[in-house]
Amino acid sequence: MTRKSKGRQKVEMVKMPNESNLQVTFSKRRSGLFKKASELCTLCGADIAIVVFSPGKKVFSFGHPCVESVIDRFITRNPPPTSGTMQLIEAHRNAGVRDLNMQLTQVLNQLEAEKKRGEELTQMRKASQRQCWWQAPIEELNQPQLEHLKVSLEELKKNVGKQAEKLMIQSSAPPQYFFGSSSTGNGGIHRQFDLKNTGFSSNMPNMMHPPPPPNMMPPPPPPPPHQRYNTGFSRGFY
Amino acid sequence: MTREKVKLCHIANDSARKTTFKKRKKGLLKKVSEIHTLCGTDTCAIIYGPYDNQPDVWPSNHEVERIVSKFKRMPEMKQSKKTENQNSFLRWRIMKSNEHLQKQRNDNREKEMTDVMFQTLAGKSLHSLSLMELNDLGSMIEQQLKEIDKIQSDANSIMATVAGSSSSAAAAATLLTPTPPPPPPTDHGVMMNDGDSYQAAAALMELMNHKIL
Repeated sequence: MTRKSKGRQKVEMVKMPNESNLQVTFSKRRSGLFKKASELCTLCGADIAIVVFSPGKKVFSFGHPCVESVIDRFITRNPPPTSGTMQLIEAHRNAGVRDLNMQLTQVLNQLEAEKKRGEELTQMRKASQRQCWWQAPIEELNQPQLEHLKVSLEELKKNVGKQAEKLMIQSSAPPQYFFGSSSTGNGGIHRQFDLKNTGFSSNMPNMMHPPPPPNMMPPPPPPPPHQRYNTGFSRGFY
Repeated sequence: MTREKVKLCHIANDSARKTTFKKRKKGLLKKVSEIHTLCGTDTCAIIYGPYDNQPDVWPSNHEVERIVSKFKRMPEMKQSKKTENQNSFLRWRIMKSNEHLQKQRNDNREKEMTDVMFQTLAGKSLHSLSLMELNDLGSMIEQQLKEIDKIQSDANSIMATVAGSSSSAAAAATLLTPTPPPPPPTDHGVMMNDGDSYQAAAALMELMNHKIL
């Protein structure tokens, strides 16, 4: 597997010669800088202001409780005002920040769990690849292997279609619904497999489309129930 | 220094908090300095610890004053456009992390589906799969077939080019052209069975292995 990037490299501490690299570096480092500042505020209760001008003459700033108040405190050399109201406002704000931090922690934990799962899956994949030639990346297969794989996949596709058809007949949808939608020619079953960019449905008609029986129930309304099988994952898939 | 995961909340223990503050403040100021060096732009930081009223600044009091004035001279909109506080910044981080999470979940799903595809290819039953999983599996198979088609057609067009260029090349092309693969044994039929037996499929696989290797 070819690496997409070079990974962590040591950087020389001089102004970056390449203009576009400089932009990217600024963007990444500014983001990381604010993250570290945010953590310092959370962990230690510090008040911070950071002001960075970008190579593109824009200005970025981060501040807790806010940039303005910290700058003012610095300029006037005065300790921050602490009236009762101020303290209340601050307590309220801190509670909000606490919540956000908890939310963030939750998401980050989930992300870590999924990453771990991803690595496990990759390991499993590698292990099985060593044992079964047909699991190797297809670029590595020779022509006869490729052809065999293709034929087997096509066979499998047919069987998947058959099985899906079987399940749909057994499913909660009432029989007249089933026939009714097929008689409209573009009913739920097609939409079932009518996935974006796959052309999968083009193979389905012969397999799954039963000849519409004559004189059946009047066509039902358009079928959202079948749509439910076509959500979420397929869109995010490719 | 061991890498331990740090909880994103206020450190209760006083001495631990003090230590952390000292370390992280140092690290933060270093990062500020680095971004200034690498990118050559005006940068400054003001840090008030919870312990005293004297701030730590970078690069120097004078420079901070200068840069802060420059900042304040900018039009209000430009100042506020890219300014963050904990609230806004954390919300942004949550959003970004959710995006990453979604992407990772999709990637994992794809890997899982690939596994299912290979298992069912080798004969595992389709009975345990839900309709949605069958849907996804079908989609996966389609994708694979597309990619195989692409490789095959690329190979064909290369060979056509080679064959067209010279007679010796034509000879080479003939060598490259494989003998047509044997048709899949029809009595073994499908690669997967309605029953749960792997045997027929395993036998088929072995057959293929013998012929190819």
